Amino acid sequence: MIETTTAPFPTIRVRPWLGVLATLSSVIATFMALVWAPTDAVQGDVYRILYVHVPLAWLAYLAFFVVFIASLGWLLTKRPWFDALAVASAEVGVLFTGMFIVAGSIWAKPTWGVWWTWDPRLVTTAVMFMMYVGYLLLRSLSTDFSRRATRAAVLGVIAVIDIPIVHLSVLWMNSLHQLPTVMRAGGSPSIDAAMGTTLLVSVVAFTLVYLAFLAERMSIELDRQRRMFEARA
Amino acid sequence: MNALDRALLVAARELAAERRHPDGLVAALTFTGLLVLIESLAFGPGQARQPGVASALFWIAILFAATLVATRSFDRELEDEAIDAVLVLEGGREAIYAGKLVAIAAVLAIVALAAGVLSLVLLDLEIALTGHLLLIGMLGILALSPVIVLTTLIALRVRARVALVPILSFPILIPQLVACTQGAAAALTGDASAALGWAGILAAFALVYGVLGLTIVPAAIE
Repeated sequence: MIETTTAPFPTIRVRPWLGVLATLSSVIATFMALVWAPTDAVQGDVYRILYVHVPLAWLAYLAFFVVFIASLGWLLTKRPWFDALAVASAEVGVLFTGMFIVAGSIWAKPTWGVWWTWDPRLVTTAVMFMMYVGYLLLRSLSTDFSRRATRAAVLGVIAVIDIPIVHLSVLWMNSLHQLPTVMRAGGSPSIDAAMGTTLLVSVVAFTLVYLAFLAERMSIELDRQRRMFEARA
Repeated sequence: MNALDRALLVAARELAAERRHPDGLVAALTFTGLLVLIESLAFGPGQARQPGVASALFWIAILFAATLVATRSFDRELEDEAIDAVLVLEGGREAIYAGKLVAIAAVLAIVALAAGVLSLVLLDLEIALTGHLLLIGMLGILALSPVIVLTTLIALRVRARVALVPILSFPILIPQLVACTQGAAAALTGDASAALGWAGILAAFALVYGVLGLTIVPAAIE
């Protein structure tokens, strides 16, 4: 039995603030990435795309992990709120994963000499992207609300198994891709302190942008659900 | 009647239906044979005879055949609404999943055997380790089938289901496909330890997705 009323959503109240915070932090992160952070000794200024690429990678993982949690939430409780969270996070996740692949490609050209290489991590990220495009396609082709939410939730749970494969593939296989420099097992990050700080600020800024997008999209979805339940009643 | 009996009953019913009207099997056999032929021609006999390429062509054909067999199998259930009668029974959802898994794996084994013989004959391939190749073939089918059955169940009664099943299942199946291809290539070239390593990975995938399917299927079907 599904809930046919949508409870007041807390992010609606924080939504305007999220937008302001996301904008402010993005301005600060952009200044730090382009002006404050030092130039890399090997790659020169080209490396600065790191401050976009790495946060996008983090958000790709985060967005799909949120889809997984929301999918479990729907399967266990049948609350429409979880379905709204899942679809919002999947759409934002697809957007950020697409941007992550494009940013990586732009960085690859001057550093590796090619736009694309059949590196396991790149391929697996592209596969993850395709998987969530399929997730959105499944949603768009299902008409009944409850069935659509359940099918999508099952796929959301199955697909998440791909995310650790993406992260670990760089370690498992003989990869061209750079090994993790920030989150690595044993030892402190191998990145310069100023670069590390800038990266951290960029990650925070991008995360706030993700949350702002998520809140906006959820608000639209909850509104749609409300109208659907009212029409049914 | 326990869960295993119910699953075996669904599998037996499915195989009996396939024996009476083997349209799914015939379609899969024809399609796989055609695909192996076309792929080999497109690559040219020189390249297609390389163990890695031949293995990849074979497993891609099996992957498409798997979606064909699974889609046809569930079409048969939907034609006379038979699936609804099974689903309302206690444990019916798990029985449908497990039964279909067994039946589809059995049909795929026949398809794989025929396509394998065809590949060996057409491409004049030499097998260094026959036992290892058969092991990879068996575990490969067991690793591919749970995901195919699960995605077909998810896409049940959805518009454009024929296109949706490959779109949903192929990205999930890429690691399994790599393991199947690498394992078969290793068996063809005589690398026993690599073949056994890939066989282990395939066994793990078969177990994980088999159990995951059984766990999630009751929630997946409404």
